[in-house]
Amino acid sequence: MPRRVRLPSTEQAAGLTAALILTAAATAALYFLRDWLETETVALLYLLPVGFSTALWGLWPGIGSAILAFFALNYFFVPPFFTLTVIQPKDLVALAVFLVVAVVISQLLGRARANMASAQSREREAVAVSELAAALVGLRDQDQILRSVGEKSFVAFRAQCTLITLRNEPGRQAVAFRLPASAPMPTTRPTISAPIQGMHGLLGEISLWLPHEPAGEAQARMLRTYATQTALALERAALAQAETRARILEQSDALKSAILSSVSHELRTPLATIKASVSSLRSGEVDWESEARLDLLAAVEEETDLLNHLVGNLLDSSRLEAGSLRPQRSWNVLAEIVRSVIVRMKTALRRNSLAVDVSEDLPLVPVDFVQLEQVFANLISNSVKYSPPGTLITIRATADEPGRLRVEVGNEGPQVREEDLERIFDRFYRVTAADRVMGTGLGLSICKGIVEAHGGRIWAQNVPGGLVFVFTLPLVLDGAAPLAG
Amino acid sequence: MSQQPHVLVIDDEPQILRAVRTILTAKHFRVSVAARGEEGLTLAAAEQPDLIILDLTLPDLDGIEVCRRLREWTQVPIIVLSVRDTERDKVAALDRGADDYLTKPFGIEELLARIRVALRHSAQSKASGPAVVRSGSLEIDLAEYRVTRSGVEVRLTATEFKLLAHLAAHAGRVLTHHAILTEVWGPEYAEHVEYLRVYMRQLRKKLEADPEHPEILTTEPGIGYRFITDA
Repeated sequence: MPRRVRLPSTEQAAGLTAALILTAAATAALYFLRDWLETETVALLYLLPVGFSTALWGLWPGIGSAILAFFALNYFFVPPFFTLTVIQPKDLVALAVFLVVAVVISQLLGRARANMASAQSREREAVAVSELAAALVGLRDQDQILRSVGEKSFVAFRAQCTLITLRNEPGRQAVAFRLPASAPMPTTRPTISAPIQGMHGLLGEISLWLPHEPAGEAQARMLRTYATQTALALERAALAQAETRARILEQSDALKSAILSSVSHELRTPLATIKASVSSLRSGEVDWESEARLDLLAAVEEETDLLNHLVGNLLDSSRLEAGSLRPQRSWNVLAEIVRSVIVRMKTALRRNSLAVDVSEDLPLVPVDFVQLEQVFANLISNSVKYSPPGTLITIRATADEPGRLRVEVGNEGPQVREEDLERIFDRFYRVTAADRVMGTGLGLSICKGIVEAHGGRIWAQNVPGGLVFVFTLPLVLDGAAPLAG
Repeated sequence: MSQQPHVLVIDDEPQILRAVRTILTAKHFRVSVAARGEEGLTLAAAEQPDLIILDLTLPDLDGIEVCRRLREWTQVPIIVLSVRDTERDKVAALDRGADDYLTKPFGIEELLARIRVALRHSAQSKASGPAVVRSGSLEIDLAEYRVTRSGVEVRLTATEFKLLAHLAAHAGRVLTHHAILTEVWGPEYAEHVEYLRVYMRQLRKKLEADPEHPEILTTEPGIGYRFITDA
C-alpha cells in the first residue's frame, strides 16, 4: 500500500497554532531584552521555541515555528529594524544559516518524536498480541476461541462492534460471533477487517467497527496479527479434536476386537453342543426311546436359551455404548419381575437352591420391566456360574430406607478381593481366567448401566461365606410417588 | 371353521417360515405363508384364514401397520412374533388389535398353546361370548355381577368387578396395561399403571389360592395381564 500523504488534521492545526504563539511570545521576550543581546545570541535563543515546538507538537509545527522565527529575527533584530530588508551580506548569511539550522533541528526532533510514538504503539501492539496468544493457548473449543478473540479485540481496538465469522466447511457449520451481542448488527461496512487464513485456506474473517474513521496502518497490522493468532488457535483446536477422535476410535476398535474374540468363543461353545446333539440324534445311533435322547434334547434347548441370553446381553451392551438404552419406566411390582425371571431361568437354576424374600406388599417401583428382568437374569446367572452346585442363591428386597428400594442377590460362591469388587462391573473384567468360566464379561457391566440409568446404584460386597450383589432403586418417578397405593 | 384350521404366517425369514410350516402341517393345520406385508394382506383377504401369525419386522410394511389394516375389516385372531429388538412394538401391536404375542426364539409347544387359545377365543366370540366364565374353583357371572369361589360369594368393589369382568370377557387373551386402563378407568388414566397394579394386587388376594403365585390373573411381563380360563 503506498504511503498516504496525510492532510493536516485538527490536531496538527492546533499544534501549529500553539507553535506560532510560542514563537511570538519568544519574540516579545527577546524584543524586551534586545539592548543586552547581540543578534547572534538572539538567533541562537530563537532555536529554543523551534525545538520545543517540534518536540511538543511535531514536525510541521516546528517548521512553522522556524519560518516565523526567521521572519521575526529579520524584522526585529537585524538592521535595518522593522523591515524585511537586509543590508549587510553577513546578516544575510546568518539568516540563511539560521533558517537551515532551525529546519534541520525541527526535522531531526520530529523524526525522533515520530519514532518514539511508533515504538510506543508497537509496544502496545506487542502487549495486546501476546495477551491474546496467552489467552488462546489453552483453548480447545472453537466457541471459546471466538469469544476470547472477540473480547480482546473489542477492548484493544476500543471498537463499537466486533464480528468474527467462520466459513461453512465439511465438519463445521458457519459460525458468527458478535460483540456486543445485544446491539443490532451495524448497517455500515466495517472499518477494518482481516481474513483468518488457515493452513488449507480461508477460515473466516474478523471485522471491526471503530468510532474514529479511518483506521491507521498500525491498527490494520495489529488486526492481521489477531487474525493469524485466531487461525493458529482454531487449527490447534481442530487438531486436538481429531486426535481425541482418533483415540476414541482406537479404544472402541480395541473394545470391538475384545467383544469379537470373547463372543465368538462364547457363541461357539453352545453351538458346538447343539450341533453335536442334533447330528447324533439324526444319525440314528441314539435309541429313539432312550434316556440319552432326552438328555441330548434337553441340552439343545438349554444351550439355545443360553445363546439367546448372550445375544440379549450383546444387544444391551451395544445400546449402552450408543447411549440408547433409555429405560421406559412405569410403576411395577418387584415381586412380579422376580417371579418372571425365575420362571425364565428355571433350567439355569436347577443346580442351586433358591430362597426368595420379595414381598408382594413392597411399594411399587418405577422401572423398565424388561431391563430390570435383565438385571436379575445377569446377577442370577453370574451367581450360578461362580458358586458350587447345590449351594443357595438368595434374592431379597427391602424398603427400609426412605424413598429407596434395596435389592440383594447373594450366593455362596468364592469371595472377591476387595480391590476387584468395583472392577467386576467393568466390561470384560473377570476375576477368574476366561477359559475357566463361561460368559462374555458383559453381564455385570450391563447391570450397572441399567441400574444407573434408573437413578440407582449397584455394588458387590463380601459376606461371611459368599458374595452379595446389592442395588438400590429410587421409589419416585419424575419426582413423584405413584398416585394410587 | 373347516376341519383343518387354516393359519396364515407372515414372516420374512425363510427359516422361520420353513420351521413353522413343517410343524403346523404335522399338527394338521392348513398353512399359507407370506414373506411381505402387502402379500400377507392380500392373502388374508383372499383366503380368509382362521388365524394369522405376524412377524413385526417385515421388509415392506411395519407389522403394526399390517395389524391395523387387518383390523379394519376382520376380527381374525392375530398372534404377533417379536424379537428382543421389537419388544416394545408388540405392545403397540396388541393395542392395535393383535390377540397375543410370542418372543423369538419360542418353543413350539408355546406356539401351539397360543394358537389353540386364540382359535377357541375366536370361536367363543362368534357365539357372542358366555355369560359365565370359569377358572378352577372361580366362577364369574358377567350378567348377574356375581363372583363365587368354591360356591362362596366373593365381595368385590365396583371397580374390582369391572376390572375382573373386563379380563374375564377376554379370557385367554393378553390385555395391555394401556387397553385395560382405557377400558376400565377411562382414556385419561391410560398411563397410570399404578392403579392397575394396586387393583390387581387386591383382586389376587381375594381370588387366588396363592396370591404370590397367581394362576388365574397372570402377569405378562412388561405388557399387561391375562385371565386364564378353563378349556
